[in-house]
Amino acid sequence: MNSFTSRLNSLFAFTLSVMAALTFCCFLTTVFNDHIRPVELNVAKVLVKNVPDYSADRERSDLGLITFDLSTDLQPIFNWNVKQLFLYLTAEYKTSEHALNQVVLWDKIVERGDNTILDLKNAHTKYYFWDFGNGLKGNSNVTLTLSWNVIPNAGTLPKVQGSGSHKIVFPDQYTSGRI
Amino acid sequence: MEYILPFLPEKIKNLPIHMDFDGQKRAERYFQIIIILFAVVGFVWGYITQQFSQTLYILFAGVTVSALLTLIPWSIYRRKPLQWQAVLDQASKGASQQGSANMTQLKTKKKKLKD
Repeated sequence: MNSFTSRLNSLFAFTLSVMAALTFCCFLTTVFNDHIRPVELNVAKVLVKNVPDYSADRERSDLGLITFDLSTDLQPIFNWNVKQLFLYLTAEYKTSEHALNQVVLWDKIVERGDNTILDLKNAHTKYYFWDFGNGLKGNSNVTLTLSWNVIPNAGTLPKVQGSGSHKIVFPDQYTSGRI
Repeated sequence: MEYILPFLPEKIKNLPIHMDFDGQKRAERYFQIIIILFAVVGFVWGYITQQFSQTLYILFAGVTVSALLTLIPWSIYRRKPLQWQAVLDQASKGASQQGSANMTQLKTKKKKLKD
């Protein structure tokens, strides 16, 4: 503290310590938030095709084709420790070969300040709904859920599943030709 | 810095730029208090507005204030100069400066040891 530079040093070091403490306190104020919101999901078109999957083993696999409705308001999730949300729509189901299948069909990033009210009607999936084999035809228990990853300023990165899901019933027949 | 020094006028060279020990202690205490005060206010305001950036801006304001108050060696930090010990009788009469008096004291001590 005897010279200008040594005072500058201790001032700077002290400021950094206080900033770290503030950030930690900010995390503490949001540590018990559960980030869960109700989500309404629905599907409009449900088709299943049997086509070769050239991205994998070139075998004929089941390809689900769906359009979905989604409506939710994520505003209450945002607080001073949330920078953005990464939303992803997952289809989860069981086949005779695999006990648990999870396919991400659609995703979206909602940043702080963006419109937090999502109201999609008849939306197309962003990614192909490929099954590993032929487990989609006639599958009547495919659960559609919306989950999100909360990206904070400081703290943990919670993965949260929205409350509310929709059960897709796939038809017993393959659709052939163009749609 | 050393290159400029010889060109500075005496008036500027003689400006006191030191802090005494008590002043240094107070300067440190002052910036700690100011920064923590601004941090607490900033935290509350940031929580109210739900903007952590507001907290940091208020903290930076506090840092600026405390930098102006404590980085510059204001005269309030020179109020308790060191009280040096009185000149011993063996010391030369010409040494009126307390610092040099101390030096002579040391020299005499060394001489004594040699003897």
